[in-house]
Amino acid sequence: MIETDVLVIGAGPAGSSAAKHAALGGANVILIEKKSEIGAPKRCAEGVSKNGLEKLGIEPNPRFIAKELDGVRLVSPNGTNVWLTSEEIELPEAGYILERKVFDKFMAMDAARAGAQIKIKTLAKALRKDGDSIIVTCESMGNEFEIKANIIIGADGPESHVGRWAGLRTGTKAVNMESGIQYEMVGMDFERENVIEFFFGSVAPGGYAWIFPKGDDIANVGLAVIASKAEKTAIEYLDDFVANCPATKNAQAVELNVGGDPVGGMPKRIYDDNILICGDAAGQVNPLTGGGIISGMTGGMYAGKVAAEAIADGDYSATRLKQYDEEVRADIGEEINKYLKVKDYAISLSDSELDSVAEAFQEIDFEKVSTSEIVRSLIKVSPKAFIKLGKLI
Amino acid sequence: MKVEDWCSFCGECAGVCPRNLIEVKEYKLVFNEEDCKDCNTCIVACPIKALKREE
Repeated sequence: MIETDVLVIGAGPAGSSAAKHAALGGANVILIEKKSEIGAPKRCAEGVSKNGLEKLGIEPNPRFIAKELDGVRLVSPNGTNVWLTSEEIELPEAGYILERKVFDKFMAMDAARAGAQIKIKTLAKALRKDGDSIIVTCESMGNEFEIKANIIIGADGPESHVGRWAGLRTGTKAVNMESGIQYEMVGMDFERENVIEFFFGSVAPGGYAWIFPKGDDIANVGLAVIASKAEKTAIEYLDDFVANCPATKNAQAVELNVGGDPVGGMPKRIYDDNILICGDAAGQVNPLTGGGIISGMTGGMYAGKVAAEAIADGDYSATRLKQYDEEVRADIGEEINKYLKVKDYAISLSDSELDSVAEAFQEIDFEKVSTSEIVRSLIKVSPKAFIKLGKLI
Repeated sequence: MKVEDWCSFCGECAGVCPRNLIEVKEYKLVFNEEDCKDCNTCIVACPIKALKREE
């Protein structure tokens, strides 16, 4: 049996961040990933904010940055545009579109350089308590073996098996799981270059459609729906969108991406004796935008740091590991809770209500481009939004 | 459960399964049929209609 201090399950950005910080903190770390290639296939539209990466101390590398962004376009159901780019605003909140296949691998490489041992093509199948440690049954290309660790960090994505095996309620209710689908397309006709575009309303019930540019005439074109609010499957909505959108008229898909996005916020409990859960597995996603790269990596960072400290103390109890819960909620918890309320409100709006918001936005002078500024403006123009969300801002 | 050839193993079905019964390997789904209560949550959530109840 293999023994280690910390076992991280899942080498997405959250897991690699956890493994890196646990290793930097002095713990012996193993990071397992079930796939043969870290980062592929992507399940993501690949947008991040510049300051998000900066806060995590990640140097933007041209090998994983596909495009630097110049603002945002919001499109209401009747086609009313709200442009928030450098033409309208002096400094639009800058972001990047990543190349996740490269980015995720680079994050895992950072973990390896910090001292973590990576095992690819290795699936976690079950776990059981053994004294003051946990034994995880793993499978790699037909071989079954066990890894015994004092602390397990579950970063196993929207599936969130690890938390649930440990008795935590980290599964996502269907009503909180966005069904996401996306084509990476070539031959796009952008109205303006370098803008991330969001399309709202019945085009994607319970979610939205997006166009995220990846340089030249390439873009991620996708959408997410909540199955219970939808009348068709996600891919049928996307094919309709692509058929009707002027930007995709001459575009062709070179890749199909599928995946769930948990937008119900963080479960009540994401830690226990010997266990920490982070990333999508712990609902560390902005429920309004569905974005979870930065928040998941932030969760991973706190999980890794606290795990290393707990290893140094020789105390892996829930009482000791609670520090992770406190730190991650203090950093991103409030924002997740706030945007959960905004999301619930936003998906309750009818197409005509969304059109009136877009109409009213024409008169607003936006001071900056950020999700919070857009929500603030929504409250300004809509009495209904003011009643529902006024207290949040 | 019948898994269609076009399943892309994204794991959304596993995430919404209320009983945590779906194992997602890199290129294979394994259902614990014995404990399944036929709630169909996984079938409805699949973004590309890749799951079907076996006749």
